[in-house]
Amino acid sequence: MPNLQPYADPNYFVYLLLALVPLAIGLYFGKRFVAYEILVSLAFIFLIFDDKTHAGQGVALIVYSIWQFLLGWGYVRYRKEHNQSSVFYTVTALSILPIFLVRLSGAGIFHAQLSLLGFLGISYLTFRSVGMIIEVRDGAIKDFHPVMFLRFMLFMPTLSSGPIDRYTRFAKDAAVAPAREEYIDLLGDATKKLFLGLFYKFIVAHYAEIAYNYFQGMAMSDAHHGMILSWWLIPVAYSYGMYLFFDFAGYSLFALSISYVMGIRSPINFNKPYASKNIKEFWNRWHMSLSFWFRDFVFMRFVFLFLKHKWIKNRNTVSTIAYFVNMLVMGFWHGLTWYYILYGFMHGAALAGNDAWIRFKRKHKKVIPHNKFTEGFAVVLTFHFVMLSFLVFCGFLDTFWFHR
Amino acid sequence: MSNKKKLWQIFGPVLAAFVLLACVFLLPFPLTHYSQNDLRESSVSFSSQIVKGEAVKNAAFSDKKVNYVPFFGSSELSRIDSLHPSVLAEKYKRNYQPFMLGKAGSDSLVHFLNMQEMQGTLKTKKAVYVVSPQWFTKTGSDAGFNLFYSPLQTVDWLRNIGHNQPSETDQFVASQLLEKSVVKNNAYYHRLLTKVSKGEKLSTANLSTLDIKHQILSRQDALFSRCESSSNYKSRVLPAAKSLPKIYSKNALDRLGYEEGQKGTTNNDFHIKNSFYTTRVMPEKKALKGAQKDYDYTKSVEYAYFQSVLDNFAKNHTDVMFVITPVNQRWAKYTGLNNDMYQESVQKIKYQLQSQGFNNIADLSKDGGKDYFMQDTIHVGWRGWLELDQYLNPFLSSDSSQTNYQINNRFLSKDWQNLKPSKQSLSSFK
Repeated sequence: MPNLQPYADPNYFVYLLLALVPLAIGLYFGKRFVAYEILVSLAFIFLIFDDKTHAGQGVALIVYSIWQFLLGWGYVRYRKEHNQSSVFYTVTALSILPIFLVRLSGAGIFHAQLSLLGFLGISYLTFRSVGMIIEVRDGAIKDFHPVMFLRFMLFMPTLSSGPIDRYTRFAKDAAVAPAREEYIDLLGDATKKLFLGLFYKFIVAHYAEIAYNYFQGMAMSDAHHGMILSWWLIPVAYSYGMYLFFDFAGYSLFALSISYVMGIRSPINFNKPYASKNIKEFWNRWHMSLSFWFRDFVFMRFVFLFLKHKWIKNRNTVSTIAYFVNMLVMGFWHGLTWYYILYGFMHGAALAGNDAWIRFKRKHKKVIPHNKFTEGFAVVLTFHFVMLSFLVFCGFLDTFWFHR
Repeated sequence: MSNKKKLWQIFGPVLAAFVLLACVFLLPFPLTHYSQNDLRESSVSFSSQIVKGEAVKNAAFSDKKVNYVPFFGSSELSRIDSLHPSVLAEKYKRNYQPFMLGKAGSDSLVHFLNMQEMQGTLKTKKAVYVVSPQWFTKTGSDAGFNLFYSPLQTVDWLRNIGHNQPSETDQFVASQLLEKSVVKNNAYYHRLLTKVSKGEKLSTANLSTLDIKHQILSRQDALFSRCESSSNYKSRVLPAAKSLPKIYSKNALDRLGYEEGQKGTTNNDFHIKNSFYTTRVMPEKKALKGAQKDYDYTKSVEYAYFQSVLDNFAKNHTDVMFVITPVNQRWAKYTGLNNDMYQESVQKIKYQLQSQGFNNIADLSKDGGKDYFMQDTIHVGWRGWLELDQYLNPFLSSDSSQTNYQINNRFLSKDWQNLKPSKQSLSSFK
């Protein structure tokens, strides 16, 4: 059996698209072959984990799915009769528990063997399942459909790196076949996205990565000379920023394209993020499915909770705290290292600072100019700040300073 | 707009793109043209792209103006100074010009596959093969494998086997390649190599798919291997050649090598070139003290890879000279590398060569203590290059001689890989 990592090389697309042909023909004629869709999904998931180095992860995925299945099923049943906050928090905590343990052990803080619970895609599956539990709490999900639940949890195109979908949205698409007109438009969009993704990931990101590796090497030779800082860190930051965007955006385009072919409109993930005028706009354009998830399920909940209980009265103070909480949680989610946490902190501070600046600007409308040039300046400033934060995020500084 | 028309608008361009792509890959018009300058630069570019592909190698070794001779080796090839083989050949208008194949990480397995793309060359030309005992670690130095591997090598190799029964060497190499992730995860190569590893013949259907693969991959190679640009010849070889005396004199050149070595190694006691010392040694100097005292090059899978290369030379009757490199003795003393072990591994390599009729050997392994023989820790330079020239020039400048190799497949075995070399154990190995 070959081992196929998702979207890793051009052959993968050939195999996957061929496997999807019957499904696409079905959808074109208004039929959704659910059993076949599940079969293809499972087969391609199996092919990710079917060799010695990945087999453990496959087992972890199965255990994880059973765990989340039981939590989802149990909580929906409970929620029909009761609605206690403590139960909701407990279930949410249990749902997060696997990734929490994996992150702890990954950072070397806790039993290392717990990293066995981890697998490619655990962080994304966690969003799917936690999001679902929150939607149950809100009453948006009333019934537990075992098959739909598994189709959602194990939806293959977005398994390893998103975009992060919501259960209610997914279930609406997945229950029916789209109208023929709509499906043709979806196929058109899928084709465009696929080719743009190929260009992003296999051409632009490929060269950006070569540049990134080269600049890291140059910076490391300065490190070997005992230098605390190096001019080479600047191109390291920018080349990584380019690599990260084109690699990840390319990847997301693949996932969307394949989703569309399967008649599922997974949410988009990137919308020209480097053209953002401020950091808030950046997060509305960068890794959107993640930041919207955090906005809805962390930031907003936090603000409502504080305002409802009147723990803090000043709205601005609450949102400032919420920004930090939001971005720090995101940092922790990436992994328990100083640079992910610092990255979260930087973005929390930038979001809070941005809000403060906008309030200040509103008060002094007459003295602060606003025109094309200031907007251009804002784009440039935001871009450079983001690159600086990516220099932290990429982890190279850790190597540069502490692992010479 | 009708649905049908819409579908055409979506998939029409995709189809057109594939048709165009097929034209580029399958129509018989040439894509490559290498100028004399391109080839000259490629000869000292040490690019892994050249090892991977066949376009540049084909162009260079069939060149009518310059007699490029393949130099197979690894990191030592790139130590260009005034007495480097490429410089001497340029300056003294030798009737050959070295074409360097390999850089750090290219060992015998890499070169076995590399050679599959140039079998014709090996039949007609002489060759130089630089063996580093450092390759012969327990599990082989396969860190570089992915850097140098391309599917085109495998396709060429399988096509070279053709309808014949795979030899023991083929079976051995196939079984080793099956362990590599780049091969393992490709169902097509996995299937064919499994066949070869079991000694089964390839079918006519197998060979026709290989022909198509070859057409596509060699096209890809021709399209992309020209992107690599390097200017080592212009910026390093030519200036170095300029500074040499007009007439070749070993004594004068030796003196020059001594002086340049002395001038170039002022910041350390190991006679290591200054720049290498500051970037590569100094940062880790403390950690390296005594670090190599347990190194063992006498037992290694590399002996079997090496045998695969020998088998391939024998198959093509290549007139080949082997170079065995020394280590810098001053440095070895510091790192604790066991000199007896080193010499034992050299004896093992030489036994493997001589017992099969490979008698052109430039054994420099005992010269690592001479002043300015080495450029750095394990790479010859200055006077070392000149010493090597005493072997290479007579060999490469003369006509090819008839070869008489007798291959012994026992050298592929685990017994040989793990044999502890001594006078007795070697001479009794059959």
